[in-house]
Amino acid sequence: MIARRLLLDRLARWVVTLGGAAIIVSILAILFVIAAEVSPLFRKPTAVLLGALTTNLDSAPLAVGVDEYREIVYVVTASGVQFVSVKDGSVLASNRLQGLHGATVVGTSALGRGPFALGLSDGRAIPAEVGFSVTFPEGRRRVEAELTAGDPIAVDPERRPVARLAYASTPNGPMTAAVVGPNAIVLVTVKETKALIGPSMKEESRERLTLPVEGEITQLALDGRGENLFAGTSSGQVIRVDLRNPNEPKVAGITAATIRPGIGVSTMGFLIGDRTLVIGDAMGSVSSWQLVQADSEGQRLAKVHDFLAHTGPVVAFAPSRRDKGFVTADAAGIARIHYGTTGKTLLTLKAADAGLSAVTFAPKADSVMTIDTKGGLSHWTVENPHPEISWGSLFGKVWYEGYPAPAYVWQSTGGTDDFEAKFSLAPLIFGTIKGTFYALLFAIPLALLGALYTSQFMHPTLRGIVKPTVEIMAALPSVVLGFLAGLWLAPLVEQVVPGLFLMPIVTTLLILIAVLCWRFVPIGVRSRVKAGTEVALLIPIVILGGWISFQLGVTIERLLLSGDYRGWLLSVLGLTYDQRNSLVVGIAMGFAVIPIIFTIAEDSLSNVPQHLVAGSLALGATRWQTTLRVVLPTASPGIFSAIMIGFGRAVGETMIVLMATGNTPVMDWSIFNGFRALSANIAVELPEAPEGGTLFRILFLAALLLFVMTFIVNTLAELVRLKLRQRYRSL
Amino acid sequence: MKRFWKSGDPFIWLTGGALAISLLMVAGLVLLVLLNGLGFFWPSPIVLLTLSDGTELLGQVTQREAIPQPDAPPGTSTRYRIQVNVGNRDLYGADFVWVEEAAIARRDVPAEAVLIERREWGNLYGFIKEVRDNERAVASGPEAAWSALQALLPDATSTFKEIRRIEKKEIGAINSTQEKIRLELKKLQLSGQEGGSEIARLDKEMEGWAAKYREQEPRLATVRQHSRQALIVSVIGNKETELPLQQIVRIIRPNSMGVWSKSGVYLSRLWEFISGDPRESNTEGGVFPAIFGTVMMVMIMSLLVAPLGVLAAFYLREYAKQGVLVSTVRIAVNNLAGVPSIVFGVFGLGFFIYLVGGSIDRLFYPEALPTPTFGTGGILWASLTLALLTVPVVIVATEEGLAAIPPGMREASLALGATKFETTWRVVLPTVMPSVLTGLILAMARAAGEVAPLMITGVVKLAPSLPIDGAWPFLHLERKFMHLGFHIYDVGFQSPNVDAARPMVYTTVLLLLLVVLVLNLATILIRNRLRKKYASSAF
Repeated sequence: MIARRLLLDRLARWVVTLGGAAIIVSILAILFVIAAEVSPLFRKPTAVLLGALTTNLDSAPLAVGVDEYREIVYVVTASGVQFVSVKDGSVLASNRLQGLHGATVVGTSALGRGPFALGLSDGRAIPAEVGFSVTFPEGRRRVEAELTAGDPIAVDPERRPVARLAYASTPNGPMTAAVVGPNAIVLVTVKETKALIGPSMKEESRERLTLPVEGEITQLALDGRGENLFAGTSSGQVIRVDLRNPNEPKVAGITAATIRPGIGVSTMGFLIGDRTLVIGDAMGSVSSWQLVQADSEGQRLAKVHDFLAHTGPVVAFAPSRRDKGFVTADAAGIARIHYGTTGKTLLTLKAADAGLSAVTFAPKADSVMTIDTKGGLSHWTVENPHPEISWGSLFGKVWYEGYPAPAYVWQSTGGTDDFEAKFSLAPLIFGTIKGTFYALLFAIPLALLGALYTSQFMHPTLRGIVKPTVEIMAALPSVVLGFLAGLWLAPLVEQVVPGLFLMPIVTTLLILIAVLCWRFVPIGVRSRVKAGTEVALLIPIVILGGWISFQLGVTIERLLLSGDYRGWLLSVLGLTYDQRNSLVVGIAMGFAVIPIIFTIAEDSLSNVPQHLVAGSLALGATRWQTTLRVVLPTASPGIFSAIMIGFGRAVGETMIVLMATGNTPVMDWSIFNGFRALSANIAVELPEAPEGGTLFRILFLAALLLFVMTFIVNTLAELVRLKLRQRYRSL
Repeated sequence: MKRFWKSGDPFIWLTGGALAISLLMVAGLVLLVLLNGLGFFWPSPIVLLTLSDGTELLGQVTQREAIPQPDAPPGTSTRYRIQVNVGNRDLYGADFVWVEEAAIARRDVPAEAVLIERREWGNLYGFIKEVRDNERAVASGPEAAWSALQALLPDATSTFKEIRRIEKKEIGAINSTQEKIRLELKKLQLSGQEGGSEIARLDKEMEGWAAKYREQEPRLATVRQHSRQALIVSVIGNKETELPLQQIVRIIRPNSMGVWSKSGVYLSRLWEFISGDPRESNTEGGVFPAIFGTVMMVMIMSLLVAPLGVLAAFYLREYAKQGVLVSTVRIAVNNLAGVPSIVFGVFGLGFFIYLVGGSIDRLFYPEALPTPTFGTGGILWASLTLALLTVPVVIVATEEGLAAIPPGMREASLALGATKFETTWRVVLPTVMPSVLTGLILAMARAAGEVAPLMITGVVKLAPSLPIDGAWPFLHLERKFMHLGFHIYDVGFQSPNVDAARPMVYTTVLLLLLVVLVLNLATILIRNRLRKKYASSAF
């Protein structure tokens, strides 16, 4: 019997210890689980060399591409396009390019953008496209490649070789640009009009341009919209030709784009979306450029980033088809992977001993292939799930495509396919701080003064009612406050803004007048009101104050603010007025924070040792002097911790900011504008964020930030409170 | 004057003023919610407005406000406009109209005007013309039709309920059984079975259910055929509309009703609100699923949080060696109560839903993949998340209770030869129970009002079925659920027809507030009683 009891006792000890410790550990594990979800964002990208193969190409490679499953590589060579197995480097039975008529391929436009064009040695260009068909016979994947070629276009009437050319399927039809001679370009647009009956009509328009080139044209790039043609030269110029008027192309700008004049442009191409131009020069430097709206002369090419330079001339460039990443290669056999938005060089690969001649990014951006001048093929897998994220891009300014300058932007989803998500946490953190600031601005005076009154001057019976009332105020669900703030308060506030700003002044004055009048009330009446119940008298006065302020507000608006304060704000202060703004949030969130600050501050104020107060009063100090000089300084750490905890609550408040602001991620201190807070942003975007994606992890990071912020603030407050309690005990 | 400032009285009064403002705000908020929430169900009169341009409007006045006149010279009298709910959304398009009061030429309150609450398209305002049965007039004229209607309505309502029952219960059961068999078949295929008796048996069973399904269809058709009674209502604009009786939820003539019958309508509407299903994307009908979801989630959470919180508190206070580590842990646990609730939601999504739920799906429900079973938000995960959110509350309350127990009680028990476990179980636990209860109720109050973490762990605007129903295994913890707080957010801010929805949201707010306040008052009462008890039992 005793043995059983002892066993039970020991068992219970084990269960409680294990269970209790497990529960506490699992609660504290929250931090680690969230951090584990965030960590892949900052993992360093890695690349692994899967294989280096020698291929039996019939001539030196000009350009390279690969299929989605990385089974077949296609290489542009003098004879056309050759297909090579990634497994063993063997040249697969290739479908030969028709219509060469003895000519050889000497140039190609950029691969990987759908159709491309091959330039021939006899002055013609052939549009071509490589397609892959994937079948699953007997459950195994089989990839087959096919080359389709269009009708050759006669580009150069003088039949000189077409080594530099660019090609794009624009809305007006396929457009080919080719260099003919040192400073001349031919533009050929083929417009195909399909008639309902009969054969389709092809209309070819041809435009010859002479550019103000120093040296000769070395590179061409044409965007997919057919709006801009860029020509890079051996002297380092980049010349932009504006094609928006198809009948009248004109030179729209010349920019010195290389490291110094005289160094030629050696590679040039667009990142996905065709808005960012990447330029590599003969000295090895790599930079990205985009068109920005200049004030007077229209658009201007501006440098966005410089990337880690190569030691030798840059010879090849390939963009990723998933994101703004790209790879460049030099003549020394080095390939580098860069990311356009962040301006960072992510990886450096030593691909070959011989100089590289072409590189490509696999369609899923999970691999890079390089091919050297001798036909050696290197196959790398790249592990880089979140290339667009760095500390700089999350918290600093980033120059996005289509923006005139670097900016803090949060815009996680967009309408188009080549939309680039913009993940700057700065506007969200700003929003959180802004909301908290206005909420505390409203809450701290009311809560602290109220706590001071309750703890020092209030009648104990009344205190017994007031404290539970405030506790109930703390229990109000934030969704209720948010709802009332968004749908009831916001339209109301909009009508009485001037009155609202008058309210503190008017109410204060009115209370002072009331005290003054009170002194003239006969002592017989005065003594009937117990000390500490003034608050009952004050309630009608406060209501009166509110009413007077609103009436006065209307008058002031009419007399001073030309009848419409919103118009006045806009014209005089340049501020716009949103209906759901920081003022509304400040009031609503202040309402939520008041009881927290009140309770803790009241606690520490009323726990000030009674003998201190009694001593001060006995020495002849008034109640107010005692409060100001004795109670407040003693309890000040408690008040500090009350404010800290109120701050923590306001930082994490979700529903009120979600419902009472417009949730626009702007950075603007104006009290009449809304904002988007970290917490509301999580609530809005997390349900739609795909698991494991960049947005998902960034939202986890936002949660981690909130956690750490509030945890530190709360711990600080808690420690201060513990210290204070010890001090009270020793006093 | 100097004495006036020196006495300090002005400052004291100013601090009092700050408190007065805070108290006024609480009182104002409660009053606002009460007024808006309770008034909604009272049948207000139907007015017939004739505007000066001859247009007529029939409906209920819902709001009155001053028209802003920024450019008016001083002294201009304020002009007002009223918002009228004219209903008939299917006929007019918009059901709320603003009318300037100055433009109203005549205001009538026609006694025969009826307000029909429909199952679809919201309210219908008009005058009854006749009642038809199978295209044949049964009664015409307002009075005759009204009395005929009173006789026919109960029958129509029960027919409607019968149709709903067949559709939802019987056909629903067949569908869910078929789905279950399909999943079982897929499970067998996944385990590599191509044929065999088991599959044949399931195939046959499936066939049987399909036959049962085909049986139900003609039955449904007969019931539908059975009732073809309709009401012809003439509405403003010289139009007539035909309304099948089954579409009517309630038909009243508020203008010829006394206080008693209005009270009856009020109560019946209130009951519908509490016990009914939502209609018209949550803007009409009831909030029963939301109440049910809230209550059930809080209950599951309590079941989890009470033992866990008590266990952790006992460990911290009774079993762990007191030292720096334990006090650090105590501070950390205290502070967790101050961590934003949305962070817990994020944790719930990452850990419970994707990690735990995803693993459960791969292990036990591979046949349903890629459709997740537990790997998506549901009531279990939401409850667990909230349990984590509120467990510090229980721990803190229990610990405070444990600290308040006089050491003499424990020592007396130990001195009598009881083991530590026996002392804890028989002496400490019963004594600390009220504190545990306080903590639990506080936790429940907090959980009932929390919305943000639920938004990412399984709450939905409209759940097709409750987490408990008649289909095995009766309790469906993986299902998504509705919640009062989320209902407020969703209907108030995401609803396409905010004007129609707003009054109802106020009532939901009132309901939620009631739940939270009652729970909080309960804790305050328990705590006060507790204080007295300890005060008297102190040695």
